[in-house]
Amino acid sequence: MSNIVNEKNLNDELKFLSKKILELNKRLIEGEKAKSIFLSLVANKLNNPMTAIMGILPHLKVVDTKKNRLLFELVCKEAFNLDFKIQNMVMASEIESGNIDNSYALVNPTEILDEVIGNLRYLIKEKNIEIKIYNKLKQKVVLDTKKVYLIFRNLISNGCKYGFENSLLEIDLEVKEPMFIIKVKNRGEAPKVKYKSEIFTRFSNEVSAKHGLGIGLSVVREICERLNGTIEYEAEDGFVTFIVNIPLDEKMLDSKTYGSNEFVFDSFDDAIEL
Amino acid sequence: MIEGNSTFIHVGQIHVDYAPAAISTILGSCVSVCLYDRKMGIGGMNHYLLPFWNGNSLQSPKFGNIAIPKLIDNMLEYGAGIKNIEAKIFGGASMNISSQFNMMIGEKNILVAREILKEYRIPIVAEDVGRENGRKIQFNLQNSKVLLKYTAKVGNETRR
Repeated sequence: MSNIVNEKNLNDELKFLSKKILELNKRLIEGEKAKSIFLSLVANKLNNPMTAIMGILPHLKVVDTKKNRLLFELVCKEAFNLDFKIQNMVMASEIESGNIDNSYALVNPTEILDEVIGNLRYLIKEKNIEIKIYNKLKQKVVLDTKKVYLIFRNLISNGCKYGFENSLLEIDLEVKEPMFIIKVKNRGEAPKVKYKSEIFTRFSNEVSAKHGLGIGLSVVREICERLNGTIEYEAEDGFVTFIVNIPLDEKMLDSKTYGSNEFVFDSFDDAIEL
Repeated sequence: MIEGNSTFIHVGQIHVDYAPAAISTILGSCVSVCLYDRKMGIGGMNHYLLPFWNGNSLQSPKFGNIAIPKLIDNMLEYGAGIKNIEAKIFGGASMNISSQFNMMIGEKNILVAREILKEYRIPIVAEDVGRENGRKIQFNLQNSKVLLKYTAKVGNETRR
């Protein structure tokens, strides 16, 4: 009898507290609405012109003088940087809208990695960072290319930006069934935060301004969650390491319907209709 | 037999469509709110993992108090009338572990759905929530019916 009474009290308490949280959370959401609108605006208004600029840039012919080459490199570096920031905001906006799906393909992750390193070449050159890739993959894997690209891009870009000049950035790729594991390790100062999770907070006030807008890592964490994966980070002895674990779904490999999950639905015979 | 597109949604996704079409998902402690405007033949579904936005990650629809208002907004954008919308809610199972460790996520997810729908004055015309089994649901927008099948106990699955 007393157990039933206790359970009822607990349920009433839970309902009361949940309603309170809901009310408080509503104010918080209202207060943060401007940031979401900003993200959505940026995603819609800046993405198309930026895509056009990125398309035109490789076709520009520069009169070959040292000064021109330097200026052109500077323009390219800033354009790549701006494009990257916009891509992050577009992804954040897609996640917030709920209109986002995973789209799987059989890929070689090193090809995605090469593309990322190519797009970061000006930053890598400027800070004279040596990149070492330890690729332990024996075969292609089924991944969402666009999302994995953004994971690589954010982690390597951060490693270069906040790593020391003339230092080494190491990237490990391996499959430990059933996980695809990415490790990005650089020499540099870790973000100064009280709690580890704060570095994955969007527009965090807790992370010092020199560590950026605070959107990149929040996007990476969301992407990892979308892929049913995780992201962790360690900071020890002057090294910062980010570790991403993404499960490889065997069913995906057998399925010809990458990007959909039809195979989980065998049939709805004898289902209840409501 | 489903006519039109059939779309599967994962955690944090929202999908709104016109009939004929179907939307499906798999739920454990997560909750899906299905909304339907009978006059316009517009229906939508969300799939959220947690009841409340934590204030520091993106305002993603994996949180109930983000996902439900967003689903309603999307329905209105598609042309649904707020007075014609009715709701069905599913999911919110208790995980197959001791209740003192599961933080009653399923219960809270259900509560948030009821509270927010009440606030918008959207009637809940059908529901299948709580208990310990996961659910597979398919929302047919042609007749506004939801087909439901129970899965094995949630604790034996990886579904959230």
